[in-house]
Amino acid sequence: MSDNTMNDNQSLLTDAAGRLFADLAVGRDAEFTDLWPSVDEAGFPLLLVPEGDGGFGGSWKDAFAVLRLAGYHALPLPVGESVVATWLLNRSGLERPAGLATIAARTEGKLKNGHFTGQVSGVPWGHEAAGIVAVLDGHLILLSVDDAVSVARQENPADEPRDTLHFDKAAVAYAPCTTDLLALGALIRTAQIAGAMDAALAQSIAYANERVQFGKPIGKFQALQQNLAVFAEEAAAVNCAGQAAFAAADKYDGNAGFEVAAAKLRANMAIGIGTSTAHQLHGAIGFTREYGLHPLTRRLWSWRSEFGNDRLWSQRLGRWVIAAGADAFWPNLTDRSDAKSA
Amino acid sequence: MPASTAGSTQAMQTFRVLPFAPPPGSVALREEIRAFIAENMPHMDAPQRVNSWAVGNREFSRALGRAGYIGMTWPKRYGGRDRHPLERYIVLEELLAAGAPVGMHWIADRQSGPLILRFGTEEQRMQFLPRIAAGELFGCIGMSEPGTGSDLASVRMRAVRDGDSWRVNGQKVWTTNAHNAGLMIALLRTGEAGGRHEGLTQFLVDLTAPGVTVRPIIDLAGGHDFNEVFFDDVLIPDTMRVGAEGDGWKQVTAELSLERSGPERYMSCFGLFLTLIQRAGANPDAAMTGLIGRLSAELWTLRQMSMSAAAQLAAGNDPMLEAAIVKDLGNSFEQELPRLVQAAADADMDLSANEDFARLLALLLQISPSFSLRGGTREILRGIIARNLGLR
Repeated sequence: MSDNTMNDNQSLLTDAAGRLFADLAVGRDAEFTDLWPSVDEAGFPLLLVPEGDGGFGGSWKDAFAVLRLAGYHALPLPVGESVVATWLLNRSGLERPAGLATIAARTEGKLKNGHFTGQVSGVPWGHEAAGIVAVLDGHLILLSVDDAVSVARQENPADEPRDTLHFDKAAVAYAPCTTDLLALGALIRTAQIAGAMDAALAQSIAYANERVQFGKPIGKFQALQQNLAVFAEEAAAVNCAGQAAFAAADKYDGNAGFEVAAAKLRANMAIGIGTSTAHQLHGAIGFTREYGLHPLTRRLWSWRSEFGNDRLWSQRLGRWVIAAGADAFWPNLTDRSDAKSA
Repeated sequence: MPASTAGSTQAMQTFRVLPFAPPPGSVALREEIRAFIAENMPHMDAPQRVNSWAVGNREFSRALGRAGYIGMTWPKRYGGRDRHPLERYIVLEELLAAGAPVGMHWIADRQSGPLILRFGTEEQRMQFLPRIAAGELFGCIGMSEPGTGSDLASVRMRAVRDGDSWRVNGQKVWTTNAHNAGLMIALLRTGEAGGRHEGLTQFLVDLTAPGVTVRPIIDLAGGHDFNEVFFDDVLIPDTMRVGAEGDGWKQVTAELSLERSGPERYMSCFGLFLTLIQRAGANPDAAMTGLIGRLSAELWTLRQMSMSAAAQLAAGNDPMLEAAIVKDLGNSFEQELPRLVQAAADADMDLSANEDFARLLALLLQISPSFSLRGGTREILRGIIARNLGLR
């Protein structure tokens, strides 16, 4: 495929995703079962599945564009989780469940003779899912939610389901797998953070141009302009880091550990400045349940902790860099971004 | 207006990302320039290997010129090598990563040459570009004056028509590299300041001409980067005018994105970061590990941003907003780095110790305030960003 065709495909995809997600976001308080079918029927969970296997045949770069829009519209749906789960199942040759496939943030327990005993937690929309993909001891396992002995519904601060499910000798489909599921979760969150940061910035700019105090729009005050400029820089950094990490996922077939660590950490770092600037600028109105800023900012605060907070990724990244040594830092950086063959 | 798109399906994106896609052979080029540096790099103390685009070395610049690494994107007939802009980017970041002394020719390669190529006459190109590309002629930029800093429209130094020449009297200040340069690109007033930026014209000034005096200004750390340049009845031939009379402002701003988004905007303290990793040893505590992780993430991100802006420039776009973002974010990073390192260093770290780490850190603590001043102050950049966001 030429670059142009790829770009055309991606803009078709983002147009479709942007329209659908914007529509769905209007009715964000509706039931999951009312919202999800249109995403599922449009084929978004199959985004990364090759065309030959009945999928969309998209790249990780395409996934960035779609998931960024999900974040931009604060879409209350597990689009990214379903994309990752479906991609992993397809690669491992496991059959997709009929219904939502999501992923587990944490898995504890044991796999014995094809049976899983233990718990999965932080599962996005776990109680709505048909299947949960988890990684345990070098295996990808597919848990059927119907087999759970208990389902504890929990929500993150943005009211998004993050459930805990217990299993007792539940039969699972499984296959060998070396994937770092935490990193894939971090990757999708980075794209969502990129979108939510840009949306909160756009809302803040619109409000600054519209809200009048002291006889002029508050956006005319230099103090606010300088703060918004810093916010824009942080949003730009997340978007750039996110796209680069997804491009690396294409290059390294989903195993872009270094780039994911750097991008999720950078995204986490940006959230503090972005959310505090947006709220400060909006004043009291932005603090209300009615106004549309909190669906973005409460997600950003939640996502900052999910699939690795600053501490987790800075420790991981720091250990890699220290183990490689100072002399290897720059060559490693350029090797990873340079073309594979000259 | 980007702001009006909030909530619509056309999601606002402040920073357009373009993939960094140099022509085939870029990996070989990277190896080539690394080999060149290994062979030609003069011995330098640690403190000279940071902020190295302000550290000049004539021999090294000449060697780079001979090897074709200065003016490398310019046409061959002007001494260039017809290389791709992203190949130039690779060479620049390798030079900076190694802490190579590139300050002597940096301004001529980045600004003087491209300006002459774009707006100069054929005669001017033939006269100056081959010598710049050879690493023999170095440049400086004469914009600031005692009453003119961020507000460039207030330039007062006047060029007055005198037959086939222009007669110039007055003073430029904060002129980096003027003591090494043979050529100044001066922004001078040739007409009244009607509109905000009217009446300004750019000239190529031979700094050896009668009436030009260069005096050093020593910075707070004892270094000599910038100067005052006095003009006493200096005659500049009209053939040394760049572009049309009154086009000075337009020409100055045309190249700003190139100046603002390069790798030098985030790499000034790169050597300190490497030293930090070295000193951390194999098993540092969690605080040090976390700091190294955090700085790595920021550095990696800034590199992606700078490379993306370079790709935009290479594609013929003018990424005004992106370039301002790269510069402000990059400067903030490289300015914060010495402070973070100072805070996290060994508890008994002694800034007066006569060893590389202490001297490196001491120097960078002192010179880092300049990072967010040179090439456009932080406040000006943030104003540009705000305007491009649709504020004002």
